[in-house]
Amino acid sequence: MKPRYAPCAAALALLTAAAWAETTQVTDPQIAAIVVTANQVDIAAGELARAKGHSKEVKDFAQRMITDHSGVNKSATELVQKLHVTPESNPTSESLKRGGDENLAALKKLRGSAFDKAYIEHEVAYHQSVIDALDKTLIPSAQNAELKALLVKVRPAFVAHLESAKQIQSSLGKM
Amino acid sequence: MKLLACLSQTWGIARPCIVVCAGTLTVGAGAPSATQNPGAKTHTVTIEGMRFNPQTLTVRRGDRVVWINRDLFPHTATATSKAFDSRSISPNVSWAYRARTVGEFDYGCTFHPTMRARLVVEPRAKAPITRTNRAGPLR
Repeated sequence: MKPRYAPCAAALALLTAAAWAETTQVTDPQIAAIVVTANQVDIAAGELARAKGHSKEVKDFAQRMITDHSGVNKSATELVQKLHVTPESNPTSESLKRGGDENLAALKKLRGSAFDKAYIEHEVAYHQSVIDALDKTLIPSAQNAELKALLVKVRPAFVAHLESAKQIQSSLGKM
Repeated sequence: MKLLACLSQTWGIARPCIVVCAGTLTVGAGAPSATQNPGAKTHTVTIEGMRFNPQTLTVRRGDRVVWINRDLFPHTATATSKAFDSRSISPNVSWAYRARTVGEFDYGCTFHPTMRARLVVEPRAKAPITRTNRAGPLR
C-alpha cells in the first residue's frame, strides 16, 4: 500500500461519524461534544503537521488550522458554559476522536512529501465530512438559538479551509 | 471596561489604530478631527463569516476606514499592492486606516486566501458653491 493512502481508515471513521449524525437526532449537549471534539481533532493534526510538515504551504495551513479551530473551540466552550450545557459524549464524537487518533498514528509513520500529501488528504475528507454533518444534522438539530447561531457562524470557515486544502492537494499532486 | 488598549502608529500612508475590547467592541479614535480632515468620514468594513462586508467600499481621499473582525479567529486586511496592511486583527478588534492615496486597491486576508475585497479611493470632490461661500460680483 502506498503511504499516501495510510490515513484512509481515519477519514473513513470521520465519514462514518458524519453518516451516523445525518441519520440520528442529536441533542444540544451531544452537539456541543461533537463541535469541541471535531475542533480538538483538527488542532492535534495541525500541531503534528506544523512540526513534521515538509512544505511551507502545508506548515502554514497547519498553523491556520490550529489558530482558527482554537478560536472556534474557545467560543464554543464559553457558550456551553454560559448555557450551562455539559457536553455529552456520543457515537459521533467518539468516532471523531477515534478517527483523529488513527490519523495521528498513521501520519507519525510518514515523513517528507508523503506526510504532506497524507495530512492534506485527510484535511480534505475531514472538512467535507464536518460540513456535511453541519448541514444535515447539527444545524437543523440545534435547539438553542445561540448554539445554532454559532454553528452557522463557523460554517464558512470550514468551507474556506476545505477550499484551501483542495488547492494545496492539487499543488502537491503536481510536484 | 470597553477600551483596554489603543496603539496608534504611522506607517507611511497608513495610520492604523488597533483597539482591543472586552465585551462590546468599540471603534478606535472615532471621527477624525475636523480641522485635520474637513468633511472626512469614517466607513466600516465588517469581517464576518470569512467575508469582508461590503465587498467593495468606495470612499473619498482622507476618509477613514475601520475594519472590525467579528469572526472567531484572526484576519488581516492587506492590499495586494501593500498600500496598507493591518497585520493580524484579533477577534472583536478593529483596525483603522486613513485613505490618503487615490486609486483602486484589491485586498484580502493573508491568512485566508479565499477572502478578497476592494477599496476604491476617489478624489475629494470640490465643495459645491452655496449661498455661504459664494464670492459675489468681482470688484
